[in-house]
Amino acid sequence: MTVTEVERRRIEDFLTLEARLADESRYGEWEALVTDDMHYWVPAGSEAARFDLEAALDRLSYINDNRTRLATRIRQLESGKRHAQTPPSPMRRTVSNIEIVDCDRDEGTFVVESNIVVHELAAQSTHMLRIWPARVRHRLRLVDGELRMAAKYVALVEADRPQPNMTFLL
Amino acid sequence: MREATSEVPVDVGPMIGRAVEDDRVHAKLHSDPAVFAAEMERIFGRGWVFVGHESEIREPGDWVTRRIGLEPVIMTRDRSGDIHVLANRCSHRGTMLCWERSGSSNNFQCTYHAWTFGLDGSLRAVPYPQGFDKDKGDLGLDRAGAVESYRGFVFADLLGRAGPLADHLGHGAVDMLDRLCDLSPTGCVDLSAGWIGHRVQSNWKLWPESDNDGYHLNWVHASMVQAAPDTYYEEAVLGGETGNSSKATDWGDGHVELDFRPSYKTELAWLGTTRDKVAGYCDALEAARGTEVAARLLHDGPPHGLVFPNLFLGEMNIAIIEPVSPTEMIHWHTAVRLDGVDQKFNRRLLRQSEAAMGPAAFIVPDDAVTAERIQDAVRSGRGWMDMSRGLARERTGEHGERSALVSDETTNRGFWRQYRRVMTESDG
Repeated sequence: MTVTEVERRRIEDFLTLEARLADESRYGEWEALVTDDMHYWVPAGSEAARFDLEAALDRLSYINDNRTRLATRIRQLESGKRHAQTPPSPMRRTVSNIEIVDCDRDEGTFVVESNIVVHELAAQSTHMLRIWPARVRHRLRLVDGELRMAAKYVALVEADRPQPNMTFLL
Repeated sequence: MREATSEVPVDVGPMIGRAVEDDRVHAKLHSDPAVFAAEMERIFGRGWVFVGHESEIREPGDWVTRRIGLEPVIMTRDRSGDIHVLANRCSHRGTMLCWERSGSSNNFQCTYHAWTFGLDGSLRAVPYPQGFDKDKGDLGLDRAGAVESYRGFVFADLLGRAGPLADHLGHGAVDMLDRLCDLSPTGCVDLSAGWIGHRVQSNWKLWPESDNDGYHLNWVHASMVQAAPDTYYEEAVLGGETGNSSKATDWGDGHVELDFRPSYKTELAWLGTTRDKVAGYCDALEAARGTEVAARLLHDGPPHGLVFPNLFLGEMNIAIIEPVSPTEMIHWHTAVRLDGVDQKFNRRLLRQSEAAMGPAAFIVPDDAVTAERIQDAVRSGRGWMDMSRGLARERTGEHGERSALVSDETTNRGFWRQYRRVMTESDG
């Protein structure tokens, strides 16, 4: 169960890289970090941080992308015509409170939770600086010796409240 | 519900009459606080407004909280099954009674001095009753003067003077709601999958416009079309002015529709699928309605239109347009699920709804940023907005509805015609 210091360091480096690519809207490089079975999920409602996948089957989520839909999302962002992200929101996020909550060395998987706070400038229209605090759960997997994302779940602190556009990569 | 005691400070009726012409609207209607106050009073305070759906409060004691304009309300079901729309505000000192989005309870107890109200809004208990000299019967919660539902869609008229709901809905809104509900083998839709709010820095009236505008799709939604090519959109709304045979229809009384039925080349085009993928659903519908009626329903699909002023029937999505201030609104949406079909089919509807609506979806965020750009540009209160497209080629149908090409601004004119009528009619 316990991870080695080397593993921990690799995981933290991965989260930092993933955060920076998302911040900078480097869609292709970010997409290269995901596995073929990636699940990208932003649940809605006051219970969002429980990450109850079963309940989400019958409830609306903000985002509930399988790999195919995530690819569509990226294609849309890269089309040059996605007005809601034209120009892309300038963003910076901090990632902290990292906890490795599960690891299966045989499978090469790690479940990692963290807190993020994204600062996003809505540069497309209102120019408001928006703040998006959230609990994040990553499921990471070793693919050919490299860490990749098989799941990213983002439970917004405000998941039960009306949200402005969030068409960037959370 | 009693009339708001503070009358609108300025009579904006004459100004609004001049600001809404047959083919253009003045931009100041999107930013003027006096106009907004008058809208809350006249459109949301005196007319029929959509509140919620019976499937959200199935059991006695279930409740949801909503706003009718700015008025916070509780929609609840009492022990006899009757639905009430109550002010979400204690009749004692004004505390909000329910601050969650939904719940279930035997009564409503205020957290300030523990006044307790029944599910019908009646005042049941006041602590230390010896010092309370008034009649409890006079201090129930404010309540909508009239509450009626049609096929599970609950509407309220705060003052209770708007006449029967059927008169408000007219032929057009009834027809749209029928076409949606008839897609269920039991005739019932379920709107209990949760509402997601999309907060937009724009005037609320830009949403009856954009939700029902058939002209913008090739440009505002170009990225979606490019990323996810779909024969449905190709057939229904794209392809240019003469490339499809969909219609823009003004049903009257502010109810409008983009009617895609003439464009669908195959059954289930509206669902982006074919019979072999959803055979269970098709079989259930045929068993319930017969082959002939089912064939029409499966071809026609759900409507895309507005029930004035705040209910958007967005095919298999439902949205509520909630005004917040002259420059802010919330677009709430939920997915339509059908009663009497298998879980897999309904989950498919949920996933499709997640793609269409909400702050992270593939379609509506591009409308939202457009609305915010309009709002920023009209902040000065200057300028006219032209809505003349297709005025000369409108045709009147058998129910008195006006229709033109889907890219014509007939739907927008229909909304504004009703708006002008409501905002300028005399109080008598």
